[in-house]
Amino acid sequence: MPEELQKDPVSRGEFLVMGALGTLLGAVMTIPPLVFVLDPVIKSEFLDQSDIPEAEWIELGSVFEVPQGKPITYRVEFPQIQSYALEKEEEKTKQEGKAGSIVEAALVTWRDGEIPDILKGRGEGRLSEAEIEELTEKLNIVNNHCTHLGCPVRWLEEKREILCPCHGGIYDLNGYVIGGPPPRALYRYAFEIRENGGIYVRHEFDGNPYVV
Amino acid sequence: MIPRIKARTLDLSQTTVDWLEDRTGLVTMLEHFLYEPVPKRGKWLYSLGSATLFLINLQFLTGILLLFYYVPTTTEAWDSIYYMMTEVYFGTLIRGIHFWSANILVVVIGLHMLRTFFSGAYKAPRELNWVIGVALIFIVTILAFTGYALRWDAEGFWAWEVGVKIGSYTPFLGNYVAAFLLGGDTAGPATLSRVFALHVWLLPAALAPLIGVHLYLLRKHGEFGSDFEYTRRLAELRERQQMEEYSVLLEEENIEEDGSSRG
Repeated sequence: MPEELQKDPVSRGEFLVMGALGTLLGAVMTIPPLVFVLDPVIKSEFLDQSDIPEAEWIELGSVFEVPQGKPITYRVEFPQIQSYALEKEEEKTKQEGKAGSIVEAALVTWRDGEIPDILKGRGEGRLSEAEIEELTEKLNIVNNHCTHLGCPVRWLEEKREILCPCHGGIYDLNGYVIGGPPPRALYRYAFEIRENGGIYVRHEFDGNPYVV
Repeated sequence: MIPRIKARTLDLSQTTVDWLEDRTGLVTMLEHFLYEPVPKRGKWLYSLGSATLFLINLQFLTGILLLFYYVPTTTEAWDSIYYMMTEVYFGTLIRGIHFWSANILVVVIGLHMLRTFFSGAYKAPRELNWVIGVALIFIVTILAFTGYALRWDAEGFWAWEVGVKIGSYTPFLGNYVAAFLLGGDTAGPATLSRVFALHVWLLPAALAPLIGVHLYLLRKHGEFGSDFEYTRRLAELRERQQMEEYSVLLEEENIEEDGSSRG
């Protein structure tokens, strides 16, 4: 008889209710802490939010300063909103001179080290749109974090190469890999050149450098 | 005079121990915890596990002490360590013990693992304890790495960045791992908070119960390769061989008897 075979005192209905309750209880206990811990992952990866405020152009220097055959290194500081500093707080701290920020270095060079012809024999002055376009094509602005494991790279004058001290990654003047383990060229900043020759960068790259 | 004092002291200590044993069972418990037969071969190599446990305890103790001064913020982290090292009495000693015992711990765990491997102590029925040991090594390694970053000096900061970058190479999950370790999409105050939470709370909380299970399983199965175990296994093997030989002989005799009775 089927009833005799049913030795377990728990009925099918009771079993299903217990299962549903267990699942619900499990979800209530695990989902909030998990989402709590993964909040930055959700915000940066799914909601596309960044710690660096958007549309913040930072001035590096001028195109007239960029030398022939070697890079000029600028220290660049972006305001940073991370976790606790809401924008309002950020504004407040900025006024007190304690705003959160992230400091990086940008290596600026002319393509292949050659100063563009339009700048040769010309003093500082306003640039036309055509000149800006040409200079934009010929300017390299790369971040100083190695694309292998993020160590800071530096220019070696005697070798005329950009070298990473951690694992020997070598880049040429344009930031392209010429040796060692880096999987790609140095990350390039989004930049613009303005009429007065000023170079402005934004915290935006041609890829995801992660640690920058 | 002296022998009498000695005898009295001995009496008094025995009475105290008996009193404690009667009321708490402490002596039996300690005996149970502290004594474990180990194989003759290898001898001192079997103390590497205990050495690991001792060093982990030392990490917990000195770590708790360091927490009295350490400030987990990007602006104060290194300053608080510098203050501890230069201004606080025994600061250099306490931090030195934490730092050096952490380094020695990694080495001792490696040796302990080698001993376990070469003595075959990972074999059945001890496989699960090997797996737990591997998980423990993994946790200790992350503890060492997060501890390095907590200093938030140039070395610690760049080491963490390299770690994040290594994490970013995780297949399919690289972006999420990096964002989790950074606490956003850039390194900053949230990064240090994460490192602190991992080093001081999450990882020790995972480590402690696993150590408990590791020790429980060790006690359950005992050390592998003890003389007793070899002797017992050899005796069982010989007994089995004798039984097989005997059964073969019996069969042969039966066949012969059958043949002679028919003939």
